[in-house]
Amino acid sequence: MQILSTDVVVVGGGAAGCYAALNLDRQGIKTLIVCKGLVGKSGASIFAGNLVLAGRGLGNTEEQARNTAEFLVKYHNQFLIDQHWAHACGRWIENVYYAELEEAGLYLRRDDSGNVVTSPGKIRSLAANIQGNSGVPFMDLRRKQVIRAGISHLEETVVTALLRRPDGSVCGVFALNIITGEYHVVLARAVILATGYSDRLHERSTGTREMSGDGIAMAWRVGATLANLEMQWWHTNDIADPPTWQRMQVYPNPMLGSEKSARMINSAGEEFFNQQQDDPLAYGPYTVQLKALAKEVHAGKARYDGGYYAGFDHCDPREVEAYTSYGKGFRQLGLRFPEDLVEAAVTAHYRQGGIDVETKTMRSSIPGLYVAGGLGGHSNGLIGLATYDGKVVADGVVGDLPQLAPAVLHETDIQREMQRLESLLASRRDGVPAATVKSAIRTMMWNKVGVEKDAASMRSALEDVETVRLDLLPRMSVTRAAKSMNYEWLDAIDAINMIDVCELIILSSLERKESRGPFMRRDFPMQDNTDWLAANVMVRTDNGHRFERRPYNLPFFKPDFATKDNLEVAW
Amino acid sequence: MSDLLAPGEARQLGQNERYDTVAARNSRFAAGEMITVRVRRSDAASIAEFRVPYRKWMRVLDALNWIAENQATDLAYRWFCGSKMCGTCAVRMNGREVLACWEAVEPDMTVEPLRNLPVIRDLVVDRAPFERKVAELEPWLERPVAYAGFPEPLTHKQMKNASKALDCIGCMCCYSACPVIGLGDLTDFAGPAPLVQLGQTALDPRNDAAKVSRSLKLTGIFNCVSCYKCEEVCPASIPIVSQVIEPLKARAVALMPEMAKHSNALRSVVAERGYVDPSALVLRVRGLKALSNLPRVLRLLIRGKINPIKTFLQRRTAASDAARQYLSRGDRP
Repeated sequence: MQILSTDVVVVGGGAAGCYAALNLDRQGIKTLIVCKGLVGKSGASIFAGNLVLAGRGLGNTEEQARNTAEFLVKYHNQFLIDQHWAHACGRWIENVYYAELEEAGLYLRRDDSGNVVTSPGKIRSLAANIQGNSGVPFMDLRRKQVIRAGISHLEETVVTALLRRPDGSVCGVFALNIITGEYHVVLARAVILATGYSDRLHERSTGTREMSGDGIAMAWRVGATLANLEMQWWHTNDIADPPTWQRMQVYPNPMLGSEKSARMINSAGEEFFNQQQDDPLAYGPYTVQLKALAKEVHAGKARYDGGYYAGFDHCDPREVEAYTSYGKGFRQLGLRFPEDLVEAAVTAHYRQGGIDVETKTMRSSIPGLYVAGGLGGHSNGLIGLATYDGKVVADGVVGDLPQLAPAVLHETDIQREMQRLESLLASRRDGVPAATVKSAIRTMMWNKVGVEKDAASMRSALEDVETVRLDLLPRMSVTRAAKSMNYEWLDAIDAINMIDVCELIILSSLERKESRGPFMRRDFPMQDNTDWLAANVMVRTDNGHRFERRPYNLPFFKPDFATKDNLEVAW
Repeated sequence: MSDLLAPGEARQLGQNERYDTVAARNSRFAAGEMITVRVRRSDAASIAEFRVPYRKWMRVLDALNWIAENQATDLAYRWFCGSKMCGTCAVRMNGREVLACWEAVEPDMTVEPLRNLPVIRDLVVDRAPFERKVAELEPWLERPVAYAGFPEPLTHKQMKNASKALDCIGCMCCYSACPVIGLGDLTDFAGPAPLVQLGQTALDPRNDAAKVSRSLKLTGIFNCVSCYKCEEVCPASIPIVSQVIEPLKARAVALMPEMAKHSNALRSVVAERGYVDPSALVLRVRGLKALSNLPRVLRLLIRGKINPIKTFLQRRTAASDAARQYLSRGDRP
């Protein structure tokens, strides 16, 4: 076992984690990143298709600036967002973000005359190198910045527990290097969780291989308050087959240098969604698409797992391919591009909710524990927002460091965690493979806590959670006893986090008795702005949990109705 | 449907696009038909064989996932995104480098770890040699003048080659396919993948020339034999030789002619004579030192490999005129 000491440990190597670490490092704070995958290569951030142009940047009009803000609050968060945070974030993106990235070398796509290429329309965006693939050079740049700055980073290393001081505050992490099988204890004065907003809890999920809800599970175990966990987002345009491509999206957003965007066709061959025509303000039209699809599903013309199609058959191929990577998947399947459409299916995407944070400092409810990026319960994703969090959390931690005591090494806690992990490794060889347990959890979530759900399906899911806990987990098996390169062991560690997080999500979903945006309940189909324009806050108590409802302030934008059928609300 | 192929034909089919189109590769089977997957595993004495039921448009990674869930739960293989972005799932399938998440399965396929990198377990390789080289090359921007503010003056024409390099996902397919890297420590060649990483900023007009020179010095780039193996396997379709390595070589020639001594000498020998004269080439590159190994010189003479009379007495010919004309067509900076 290796014991490391640092000022701040950042868990996660995506947009938020890297930027937090870079900002802390610049301010002379000793920082260490622990990443379950590879810094800048795993997780959600590499999927960023392009960068939304906020504020008055690059010739945006006052109206376009306002549209972008309205889109963020309404379509992207269904008003479940701290609008003051959103405002500050928009200002920062406009004034700092693009310049910081470009100065560091990011190639914001130009045309041959040197103009930055944007998508036209009510909300504009730009791309890093190529639209649809912006996250790759973006995160590659962050990876290199981390290397250049000499920031220590443990990769392919999973954090399995948060360490605490006697007063309950968080002061480090316990981690396992998946490659070597070595344990690491990282002691720090503050821990920043930045494990991302997407995980693989559903049969179809955009979360990458390593994402299993670890951040939420570990934060809950140390008593952190959660918010809006039920606000699960869905991709509607993801490729149905092969399964490996379940997170590959036929991007519905406006295209760079074109007035067009992808369209969707039901099983009867009728178009039912085309963003630029149907709702130009829905820049990232995921919820609008999902509602359009729900109506097709109700009419028997599509299923959530397929039976409808998406593509660019109404576009000139030169128009699509001038600045996008959108043809690559079609071509690799041997389809004609853009003439052919591809069968699409729904995929669980990011979660609006997460760990409840104070948005000026990104403090969680537990001293010493901070959160940045999509894991926070304060907003939905977008790589710019996650990056802004990286800055805010760094400033928050720097401000608090003088009050945060050095870490205390608790031998008994460390022994207990090692025993927990090793009991999984020593589990019976003739039992249920850990991968099977993961699959069972995902099937349960897909069938009972999917796009549309109700109290009955969710209560049944809670019973399944108990069955998994009482029946499957004790029989979970790992065939190889070696610690190094034991992905089965990792699966077993993941499965425990997954089942805990699923239970929290189901309980939160039962608590919100309305439908809102992508959160659709068959038994409460109305969007209720009288009672539920509020954060659904889950507080850990000595004997379980309680829910609190915290209304949002609405300083800039507010909904124009009290109650309405959610499917009839655009956003 | 699998009777379309005789055993052993897969490799050839995979490569030969003329009668095995992408469409054909994707529709070779019906759902449920069995394919044979052989995996080279670390512990096993022989290659492990599995029968896997086909799923629509199945990728190599889908087959590995099926095996890990159903038959060999301890199979070690690396992947994160499953959609050609993270670049961590590359393997060799029937002898060629592919991205497991991107490549269609073949009826009878052998899956092995990448070459030229240490195998950690089963299909997982150690990326550290690549990462070390990339870090050593310092593939980042150093601006000779202060940043002008967003948006700075820059055109896509100026970024044309760097933009191609920016499609790199660091998957190591090219690194595994490169025969010069396969020679191990015999050369100091950095390899295609680190060069593409370097090309992202070294071919960027915003970068400082001195910085680019410092990086290029560490690449051994003139060991590249331009065999195009890297380009052939690149899942991101980057023209690695034509739009990254060749422009980097040109940059090296322009910035540090001494680095390109051998290729400059070859060029001028061809320009002067219209053919490669080995003794002229050796004399130019090594000077009189070339004569210090007399037994070798004698051996070369006896075998007719060098001809001093021809070297010293030959006159300008039609071939040399043509060569000079060809070489002066302005394809160098």
